Amino acid sequence: MTEQELFTLVGIRAEQSAPAKKVRRMQGFPWISVILLGIIVLCCFFAEVIMTKDPGYLDLKNYNVAPNSEFLFGTDTLGRDIFSGIWYGGRISVTIGFLATLISTFIAVVYGSISGIAPVWLDTLMMRFTEIFLSVPGLLLVLFLQAILGQANVVTLSIVIGVTSWASIAKIIRTEVRQIRNSEYVVASRCMGGKFFHILRKHLGPNFIASIMFMVVMNVRGAIASESTLSFMGMGLPLEIISWGSMLSLAEKALLSGCWWMILVPGAFLVTLLMCLTNIGNYLRKNANRKESNL
Amino acid sequence: MRKNPFAYYGKKLLVFLVSVFILSVAVFYISRLAPGDPLMSYYGERTEKMSVAEKNAAREKLGLNDPIHIQYIRWVENAAKGDFGISFQYKQDVMEVIGSRIGNTLLLGGIGFVLTFAGALLLGVLCAWFEDKWIDKILCKVGTLLSCIPEFWLSLMLILVFAVTLHWLPSSGAYDVGHQNDTLNRIVHLILPMTVVVLQHLWYYAYMIRNKLLEETRADYVLLGKSKGLSKKEIMFKHCLRNILPSYISIMAISVPHVVGGTYIVETVFSYPGIGALSYESARFHDYNLLMVLCMMTGVLVILCNLIGGIINEKIDPRIKANEVVETSEVSKV
Repeated sequence: MTEQELFTLVGIRAEQSAPAKKVRRMQGFPWISVILLGIIVLCCFFAEVIMTKDPGYLDLKNYNVAPNSEFLFGTDTLGRDIFSGIWYGGRISVTIGFLATLISTFIAVVYGSISGIAPVWLDTLMMRFTEIFLSVPGLLLVLFLQAILGQANVVTLSIVIGVTSWASIAKIIRTEVRQIRNSEYVVASRCMGGKFFHILRKHLGPNFIASIMFMVVMNVRGAIASESTLSFMGMGLPLEIISWGSMLSLAEKALLSGCWWMILVPGAFLVTLLMCLTNIGNYLRKNANRKESNL
Repeated sequence: MRKNPFAYYGKKLLVFLVSVFILSVAVFYISRLAPGDPLMSYYGERTEKMSVAEKNAAREKLGLNDPIHIQYIRWVENAAKGDFGISFQYKQDVMEVIGSRIGNTLLLGGIGFVLTFAGALLLGVLCAWFEDKWIDKILCKVGTLLSCIPEFWLSLMLILVFAVTLHWLPSSGAYDVGHQNDTLNRIVHLILPMTVVVLQHLWYYAYMIRNKLLEETRADYVLLGKSKGLSKKEIMFKHCLRNILPSYISIMAISVPHVVGGTYIVETVFSYPGIGALSYESARFHDYNLLMVLCMMTGVLVILCNLIGGIINEKIDPRIKANEVVETSEVSKV
């Protein structure tokens, strides 16, 4: 044994320089998801360029055709070309996703900020309400609302999805607002006669935008999934309005005739899109905080 | 500071009753003010051929002509006597219609619930134990993928593969005709719907467990335990897991409606005769009495589960103040 091993320092660690940390800003950035998402969204918005057929045309001679060189993804039971329908319908699915999120985020920001600024009793009441709202399964609520409202179109469907999915964002905003509402700059702004929406835009907004980005992305995802589920169940968009969901509403007939492409193709696009959004959302969330394990 | 238990539970009961009351009024008004003709569900196609006088007579008979608040009071009076009216569509007592189907839903939802939460705990601990190892990474990726698949599409794919292509499992119903009491037959019919119900929720809660556990392992007491010489197993199971279990149990309570609600779509796809498919039908055809009872059942379940979740939380973890409600934002997803 060497002298060094016999007499080790107890209690004091040998001095170590901290390992140089590489600053990798884009670490874990979901490139694939972003690119895929970009491609799908772009293709949907330039659907006219890509489409090989009129997506709404009922080609009664060629129905239930399996994918071939003319009909790349086959045709459905009504003889509509699925390849064209994917891009054309994707536009509507994506639009609903964004429109519904826009609505729900707007409600959430206003509701959350009011609740955050309001006196305690009002705040408690408003938060109680969100909790009850949250504990009702969202899709069920959408289902009932839409069922009661009757035939849907793109706008009503977006509104229904929007007004049922704001609660979780509102809660986060409320927490953030409560933390910063007594900051000097907010008080100062108020003293100078700043109105509610001014404070919201100039002071509160920039503070909570980072923490709700993840939820917003997830809301887009949820809205697209809700649309497809509703349309599939025959309560969302009717068959004439092509979307991924309404394409899938033919699934029952497709199952009977064994036409797998009618189910697989729109579903695969749907899942890919949702997957991309989830990955981006997760990146946004992870980016916020990451600590080392003590274990 | 011990509180009077009567006051404590009395307050909870009051909250419960008020919530139920508000819910019933809301459902009653919304369903009746919404566009759509309830006569359609009673008379079906015949409604279109009826004259105005006939329609009025029919409305009078069903009590739909009175102002809504009178209808509501009448509904409450009858409900208090246990009479929830008849289903317009089935021409049967509402309770009979529901009673013949609720067992199926409870079976699907109940077993699904237990499997989901047992599985989620197992998977969550497994992932946390092997943090950032390959098994954790694979499980997380699979979980993310599965959580992105909409319920109905997963059901469709399972039907396509196992029922249409392989002919292994039946694609619809709760039992074959004439096999009503055949347990094996029922189990076979349950496999596919159950798979969807469990897979839909499993990853979400497994991920929650994993993240909560990992959060715990970053706490200071883990360092202390480690410096005392406790093994990883002891720290993980005796300390970390114990610390997260209260919140897990309360989340379990709160998520009952979510798991049960998830069965609604699955039931529709698999034509499984439960109350899920029924409630969606009743909303669609304006079958008021049926809709009302089904909504109230779901609503009461939601409120009750929330209360229970809150009570469990307060009992296990006294740090949570009595008036502070359980964090539900984590279960906000369907």
